Amino acid sequence: MLALAISGLTMRFPGLDAPVLAIDRLHIPAGGRLAVTGASGSGKSTLVNAITGLEIATSGSVSWGGTDIARLSAGRRDAFRAAHIGLVMQDFHLFPGLSAFENVVLPVRLSRRLTPVERERALHLLETTGIARPNQPIETLSRGEMQRIAVARALLSKPGVIVADEPTASLDRRTGNEVAELIVRLAREQGATLVVVTHDPALVDRLDRRIGLDGGRIVEDSAEARAA
Amino acid sequence: MIRFILADLRRFKGGALAVIVLIALSVALSVTVTLQERAVRLGSARAAENFDLLVGAAGSETQLTLSAVFLQPSPLPLMSGSVLAKLSEDPRVDFAAPVGFGDSADGYPVVGTTVQLVSALSPTLAEGAIFARLGDAVIGSDVPKRLGAQIKPMHGAADEGGHAHTELVYEVTGRMAPTGTAWDRAILVPIRAVWQLHGMAGDGGHAHDHVTEGTAATDHHHAGEASERSAADERDRETHVEGDAALDEHFDTDTPRIPAVLVKPKTVADAYRLRQEYRGETTLAVFPAEVLTRLYATLGDVRSLLLAIAIGTQVIVIAAILLVTIMHVGARQRQIGALRAFGAPGRAVVAIVWGELFLLFLAGFGLGILIGYGAAQLISATVTATTAIRMPVEFAREDVSLAAWFGVLAVLVSIVPALSALRLSPATALRA
Repeated sequence: MLALAISGLTMRFPGLDAPVLAIDRLHIPAGGRLAVTGASGSGKSTLVNAITGLEIATSGSVSWGGTDIARLSAGRRDAFRAAHIGLVMQDFHLFPGLSAFENVVLPVRLSRRLTPVERERALHLLETTGIARPNQPIETLSRGEMQRIAVARALLSKPGVIVADEPTASLDRRTGNEVAELIVRLAREQGATLVVVTHDPALVDRLDRRIGLDGGRIVEDSAEARAA
Repeated sequence: MIRFILADLRRFKGGALAVIVLIALSVALSVTVTLQERAVRLGSARAAENFDLLVGAAGSETQLTLSAVFLQPSPLPLMSGSVLAKLSEDPRVDFAAPVGFGDSADGYPVVGTTVQLVSALSPTLAEGAIFARLGDAVIGSDVPKRLGAQIKPMHGAADEGGHAHTELVYEVTGRMAPTGTAWDRAILVPIRAVWQLHGMAGDGGHAHDHVTEGTAATDHHHAGEASERSAADERDRETHVEGDAALDEHFDTDTPRIPAVLVKPKTVADAYRLRQEYRGETTLAVFPAEVLTRLYATLGDVRSLLLAIAIGTQVIVIAAILLVTIMHVGARQRQIGALRAFGAPGRAVVAIVWGELFLLFLAGFGLGILIGYGAAQLISATVTATTAIRMPVEFAREDVSLAAWFGVLAVLVSIVPALSALRLSPATALRA
């Protein structure tokens, strides 16, 4: 469980005058659950990239539990993400040709040997997420099942943080609700800090706090509204 | 990791197969050229093994060698029989055997010679016995006749409009062991039988100094004019050859004219001295191995050329593969980005892209060697079927270094796209 502290973060892309993202201060306590909303182009995905280290901040710091990932080398940042951040994305990014189980353990297997404990945990996670047959090839599964496997994969390494980018956007309402429920429940059970980018009001309602982005800036914050 | 690579290759099996076939064909080309050139060289070197020194009438060294070693039918000038007599008595000579070509039977060359040459070619016969009478014949291992079968010799070859010799029918008394040379297709008969068939017995060698034409044969009195031809034929028919007559392998100055004499010198020094002595205005002495070496040099040049072309195609193929892979990696940026986003270390990504390419190279290389080896075997088998010269298709030590070079090149070439896979940040790659 890690706390997030952002200060003076800006992200600029070459050729653009205005920063794509500019956040002076944002703090999420360990175990907090944050929803990020905003129109497309508002900087939501850039925020996800910045806090997961997929992209380097132009300036400022992004610190998880005291580690400023903006200052890590590319290799260290990849390693930090692998160890502490579980990612769930809109279009799953599962790998065809492999089974559900193999997809869950792939990131670990690509960096080292899978331990028996991790193996057990992977099977347990698949069971928890409702995948009955771990050896089923990924291509034969429904979209809802695919996203649940992606959730299981995100949780395998017991990450302190789960970051989900539009996890329900490509699912129908019912399966979307199931997946939303699953993510929130598992994050709580595993004691992980949760950041979800979403348009889905049902999913927003399940979280503690919501910030709205526009033009790369925070224009709405439910915590401040409550305080006020 | 291996499972991931294989799953990935399965997904692109069409493209992967095309790349493998491309590499395999270009590799097969070089393998075939290398193996076939070696096969021809080894095969003909073995064919010439028994032919230390050849003495013939002045003319083409190459033609003399090709006629004697490969029994290639072609006109050879004749030389005086006294040369054979002189060589037989030379103390530096182990044995000297006449070689009289020109006749054929059922498409197999009939060669007049002595017992000594038969023993030299096949120290122990596969079956039967060496000829003892004028009408006996010993056949090469590839001649499809049985012991006791009759052989009707024909002057020249049937497809050259030759005529049959009716005066004598040979009887097969023995079969030589396989030698892997053109002589496996030969029918060996006593030289005196050939002379008598052609009406040359004892006529010395005076008066006939012209060259036979059309066949590499014994002296025939119809060198040019058609009118003379029928007369000569008449004469052939009149000649009576006593098939039961005993062999006479003693040669003197009255010995008829012959196209070539095979000489087995006692020592290497003798060989050089003899060659020196019989290189003159009327005779020619050659080491067939030396003549063949000169021919191989030409062959070697051809091989270099073919190999250069083969390597050229390989470079083109590798360039094409590089292009395909770079495009492929471009198309896979999302997958690569996702792998990194979910925690796969950079080295794993490099290893995957590199491993996939390297596997393709390896598969293509292996398949190419098989195809090339098969093609060389096929070519050799075809050549053996028509000439009886066995051409051994085999790999040699120097091939290992060639293969190693290919391996190193494959490693280097496939590392380029692998490294380019890490160029983008995972987020950029995911957006691709």
